[in-house]
Amino acid sequence: MKDRIVFEDVSKFYGEILGVNRVNLSIPPGITSLVGPNGSGKTTLMNLMTGLVRPTRGRIQVLDYKTDDPENLFRIVGYSTQFDAFPKGLTGFQFLYSYLRLSGRDSQSAEQMAWRAIERVNLVDAARRSVAAYSKGMRQRIRLAQALAHDPKVLVLDEPLNGLDPLARSEMIALFRATAQQGCYVIISSHILHEVDVISDQVILLSNGYVVAEGQIQTVRGEIQEHPTQILVRCTRPRELAAKMLQDEHTLEITIHKDEKGLLLKTRDADGFYLALNELAVNGSRIEIESIAPADDDVLSVYEYLIGSEEVVR
Amino acid sequence: MTNRMTRLRTRVWWAQIKAVIRLEMRKTFFAKRGLWIYLVALLPVLLFMAYAMANSHRQSQSASVARRGEKALAYQDLLAVKPDMTREEVVAILGKPPVNFHWREDRREDRAGNRNADANSTVAIVHEDYHYSDGQNDLFVGLADGKVERVNIREGVNAGQDSIMFAGVFQFFFLRLAIFFGCLGIFMNLFRGEILDRSLHFYFLAPIRREVLMTGKFLAGLLATCTIFVTSELLQTIAFLWHFPPSVRDVYLYHNHGLEHAAVYVGVTVLACVGYGAFFLVAGMLFRNPILPAAAILIWEAINPFLPAVLKQFSVIYYLKSLCPVDIPTPPGTSAFLSLLISNSDPVSAPLAVLGIMIVALIALYASSVQVRRMEINYTTE
Repeated sequence: MKDRIVFEDVSKFYGEILGVNRVNLSIPPGITSLVGPNGSGKTTLMNLMTGLVRPTRGRIQVLDYKTDDPENLFRIVGYSTQFDAFPKGLTGFQFLYSYLRLSGRDSQSAEQMAWRAIERVNLVDAARRSVAAYSKGMRQRIRLAQALAHDPKVLVLDEPLNGLDPLARSEMIALFRATAQQGCYVIISSHILHEVDVISDQVILLSNGYVVAEGQIQTVRGEIQEHPTQILVRCTRPRELAAKMLQDEHTLEITIHKDEKGLLLKTRDADGFYLALNELAVNGSRIEIESIAPADDDVLSVYEYLIGSEEVVR
Repeated sequence: MTNRMTRLRTRVWWAQIKAVIRLEMRKTFFAKRGLWIYLVALLPVLLFMAYAMANSHRQSQSASVARRGEKALAYQDLLAVKPDMTREEVVAILGKPPVNFHWREDRREDRAGNRNADANSTVAIVHEDYHYSDGQNDLFVGLADGKVERVNIREGVNAGQDSIMFAGVFQFFFLRLAIFFGCLGIFMNLFRGEILDRSLHFYFLAPIRREVLMTGKFLAGLLATCTIFVTSELLQTIAFLWHFPPSVRDVYLYHNHGLEHAAVYVGVTVLACVGYGAFFLVAGMLFRNPILPAAAILIWEAINPFLPAVLKQFSVIYYLKSLCPVDIPTPPGTSAFLSLLISNSDPVSAPLAVLGIMIVALIALYASSVQVRRMEINYTTE
């Protein structure tokens, strides 16, 4: 049994328009976020992963299955798309029930699974109402319910938090986390970088159809050599510490914090800096260090370094 | 083990097909944009109802005329009246006319005896119109100056003639237009409608083979079109038989193959839905604009009589015409072009015709299955 979602040299062109190009990915279990501006290829990548579009070139494998085998693929994959249209005349419950019947389930189990999915997305009160009368947030939830209804191993969610209120967002994030903790693959695309930062185990950064980086966010940050690492140190006597650190050749810039209780340091050698700081502590310095934390190994910083700040929702 | 797996798989496929049919039936039967299909299907029913009502009215008139007549007449009596007979001879055969009209006509006459030449000399001519009936058939006799000038017999109920009329409506309106466009409206929308609604992904996100989905949709379309058009066909038959007197109806149904014809018409309707349905299913996947394939298929079907034998076989109407139970005779004086359109010059046997339609439909369905596997969800290009 294969345990990864694999893209091998995958390209997708819509006529002459590039969707994604030469994508090579190996996605492990956990929450993986696709991050990139509009038109960067996030949805195309998700559609490729679920067989809704076929690659122009390359090969995609989702665990044991190829994407041109929907009969087996969608037994392990649930996809919440951004397409905001539903079969006409169905209530929320009927929408899920019909989907599960389409999967070949009998009436009783389809009904049970539909109600369970509806409960998971907190839509019980509206389940008997027509989907056409749903608000944007409710439509988002019922799509999530569709993706979750058959307990898939791989959950693909295209902008799943769009249209949800803050409470619903936190509920959904908790749901994604719980799903990932069960060993599932949760692939999320999002513009909202601070949420991506909070929930992701790994990220895939896309720009103009190309994957510009992938992996755990700290690893990705570490690989960006042209931008020095920023480290925030909360301490007493920050000026004294600044003076000492400036003697290190890798230190590029130090800014004293406004409250005079810390400093922000830019260095090309984070490991060297941490070593120097340890030595300082060991050598009986009067400086008391409260905390040390990287200031730019989050998704937002990595995104800005690699892609720029266009269309980012912080 | 393999057999068990196959059985299980087949059971799942069948459950999925039923689920697709349930979803599609709801859309097909109750869609506002499909209302016109009901109207097209109902049109021949309305036509036959109007015809039956007019005939019933005429029959009651004939019966009334017959009751008022001096003699009880038979059809043969009505046929006995010939032009140039005198008024007295007519009355001797048929009795005093129960309904008659008369009027005077002043015709101009010239000195040489030619009429209409001189305004000053006119000749008065007395015209009389007699109407006799045997209760079902009517005889209209026109007399001028006491001599029979015109004889016109209107037959009341002629099941043979009416069945030819029924065949004409069936072949030239119901098959070629109503079912054709009804299938276009339903089958082309099975996929195309959902692409335009941007809701096709609902199906594509389910663990269902695309071929199974296509089969489900095709069967749903077939069920819908068959329900609509077979119902229409049965209503047409009822409306067609409505005005027949019970004795004529019994003779037509049980002794003149009427019942058999009705069953064959239902069968041909179902086969037409299969053939055209398969054609339009694949057309709906291949073309964005339904007008182009519809026009192409309509022209192809229309020029079928003029095609070489090999090409004829790739059409639906070729086989359907061969299955129709009543041949439409070509009236004398019809041009060769029209005769070719009306008659079926090169019919095939019924089993071959059914097989032919099935093969044509299977070819179209195979093309659909290839196409459905290639389909992508890319609404922005639509």
